[in-house]
Amino acid sequence: MRAMGRTDLPPTQQKALRSAIRWEWFTIGYSILTIALIALVVGGSQAMRTAWIEDMLSLIPQISFLVALLFIRRPPTRAFPFGLHRVMGVGHLVAGVALLGVGGDLAYEAISGLIRAEHPSIGTVVVFGQTVWLGWFMVAVMTVTVIGPFFYGHAKAKLAPKLHNKVLYADADMAKADWTSTVASIVGVLGVGVGLWWLDGGAALFISAGIVWDGWRNSRAAVRDLIDQRARTVDDSRPHPLTARVADRVAELPWVRESAVRMRDMGQVFHVEVFVVPEHGQVRVDEIEEARRAVAELDWKVQDVVVVPAASLPPEAEPAGRQEEPAAQRRHHGDA
Amino acid sequence: MSRWRRVWIAPLLALTLCVAGCGVTVPSDPQGTLERVRGDELRAGASASRELVSIDGSDVSGPLAEVVEDFAASLDAHVTWTVGSEEDLVDGLEAGRLDLAIGGMTEATPWSERVAVTRAYDTIPGVESSVVMLLPLGENAWQAAIEGYLDKEAAG
Repeated sequence: MRAMGRTDLPPTQQKALRSAIRWEWFTIGYSILTIALIALVVGGSQAMRTAWIEDMLSLIPQISFLVALLFIRRPPTRAFPFGLHRVMGVGHLVAGVALLGVGGDLAYEAISGLIRAEHPSIGTVVVFGQTVWLGWFMVAVMTVTVIGPFFYGHAKAKLAPKLHNKVLYADADMAKADWTSTVASIVGVLGVGVGLWWLDGGAALFISAGIVWDGWRNSRAAVRDLIDQRARTVDDSRPHPLTARVADRVAELPWVRESAVRMRDMGQVFHVEVFVVPEHGQVRVDEIEEARRAVAELDWKVQDVVVVPAASLPPEAEPAGRQEEPAAQRRHHGDA
Repeated sequence: MSRWRRVWIAPLLALTLCVAGCGVTVPSDPQGTLERVRGDELRAGASASRELVSIDGSDVSGPLAEVVEDFAASLDAHVTWTVGSEEDLVDGLEAGRLDLAIGGMTEATPWSERVAVTRAYDTIPGVESSVVMLLPLGENAWQAAIEGYLDKEAAG
């Protein structure tokens, strides 16, 4: 018998993966540049400090994506019979918890600064013999760095569904929302500039609330996948349509009376258990193999398939012939 | 994606731009220190430090004290000195009883959590080392005025 599942990818996904890797390296380079630039001007503004730390945190999903890729391509072994796909989920969880922890700490700092009515001090610097308020440089740096995440955020958001990769999706989603933090830090600094000291703490609170929210969402999604909830789409918005398609495909086989599916997300690929109740209460080995092949041909993500003949279907498995949702809604999520 | 973040950012930006557009100077002082001192009184605190700040009764002298006197003069203000330990001065700055404190503090001063610290200057006449002054937190026009004055003195 051939090894279960697969660790290679079809050509479309390989292309998307190569592109994703390039984007991740580009993002890491861009973020390091941004972090270094902000370090030059960070000063006494809590909003700037929060946005700065957020930029550092944004590296975690990218690094965990690239590290996880090294592992998930390893074929399954006796010691790891399901392959190492779950490493992606672990990376997702690590990123989520880091965001949650640091975001919470920054939110606490912002709130306690506001309560103590700490007025942020932003001094001056000397440029070409002129004494210039540092706040102007903060605004300039943030204005320059606001652009990048737009490009790579949208590029990665297009790639994530093709690869069914939730770490990449979360990374893209955070990048797309990054401009709100950057604008908030500008608002905070300009607020200090005009004497509204609380705008700085307010902006810091706004940014850190965003970090906490990202952390909560990602930790929750990662934990749910790690404890084997049924497979969902890459954006976690609904149950993955492949579950119903696998069940339906097996039910079409002439020797099958009923079928039902349990499918879990291993991170990029799924693990599928198909329960079948055969006609006349018996089944041949080549029929089982036929069912496995038929399922594997449906999609590159469902290669690790177990077909279990049974006298009756377990109630927690998704039975065939049940429409999860109207067909119209399913259409524009074709490759999710 | 979280819509609330986008919903909040627009009014915040609009508010800031509006306030910024209403002829407020940038940076500015939430407590109005610079405007209060101009043509009036600079309440300075002094803590004795080697040759930098000498204290004789209520008379404060030394190169650092002279810089403060000259700065006050540039604003048509006179200096009222308060003498105390560094912690007394920091308390005074925090409570709004002082506008400025000197005493041979450096960039490594542990008070930077509670008060604003100017850039370090090693260009003050008669002062060998690099020193900073302490100011109330968040009085940014005031801080810019002092740093600008010290830069100008250093250059000229």
